[in-house]
Amino acid sequence: MAAVAAGNGAFREEEGTGGDAAAPQPHAPTSAPGARLSRLPLARVKALVKADPDVTLAGQEAIFILARAAELFVETIAKDAYCCAQQGKRKTLQRRDLDNAIEAVDEFAFLEGTLD
Amino acid sequence: MAERPEDLNLPNAVITRIIKEALPDGVSISKEARSAISRAASVFVLYATSCANNFAMKGKRKTLNASDVLSAMEEMEFQRFVTPLKEALEAYRREQKGKKEASEQKKKDKDKKTDSEEQDKSRDEDNDEDEERLEEEEQNEEEEVDN
Repeated sequence: MAAVAAGNGAFREEEGTGGDAAAPQPHAPTSAPGARLSRLPLARVKALVKADPDVTLAGQEAIFILARAAELFVETIAKDAYCCAQQGKRKTLQRRDLDNAIEAVDEFAFLEGTLD
Repeated sequence: MAERPEDLNLPNAVITRIIKEALPDGVSISKEARSAISRAASVFVLYATSCANNFAMKGKRKTLNASDVLSAMEEMEFQRFVTPLKEALEAYRREQKGKKEASEQKKKDKDKKTDSEEQDKSRDEDNDEDEERLEEEEQNEEEEVDN
């Protein structure tokens, strides 16, 4: 039953990629209530990992850490992009703020050319 | 459905929430910026996976493990992530261990209820296997069971 619910949830996200509608937050059915260690669904992260042809297997812990690292990454890049928006005295983050952050921060160099 | 790795996006709702919580109140984000960040997160995972896989191959292992990912973070110059990731990993391991013990305890309780005589016979056989496979926690449980 839980698997079906998770499947439906995942299906909904893939169809409505551009929507701002408050979709229910997808998470693994077995996650303990209150002990939310990662917000990103591990199944999606695992799908990304498996997309790499060189990867044979990935342990559960590895998937979990990748999910958590991706969250930290999103926080980091959002904050760095915000610094650029602040300088322009804007309160809405724009795409160009992100591009500026990618150019300015060495650690984001791997993103150059991948977002278009 | 998804044909290329870059098309595997992480859920928008979750990405949006993470962004909003990282930024001060009153700051919003355009759709283009948000979907670019979502895409960047996917690229990040793919890149980290590739780096981690290199470490696994160096160690002649076929399965990516947690330390491979941590090494990848350092390689990618995201050292600042390493400490929070290690803490998250410890919490995750504790949670997994707790779940495992809880489900095994449930199973043993259930078995006790069904037929205790047969359970005594099979328990002797099981004990030998358990000692080989499992560690301290199982020995504790065995002590309880014997009592």
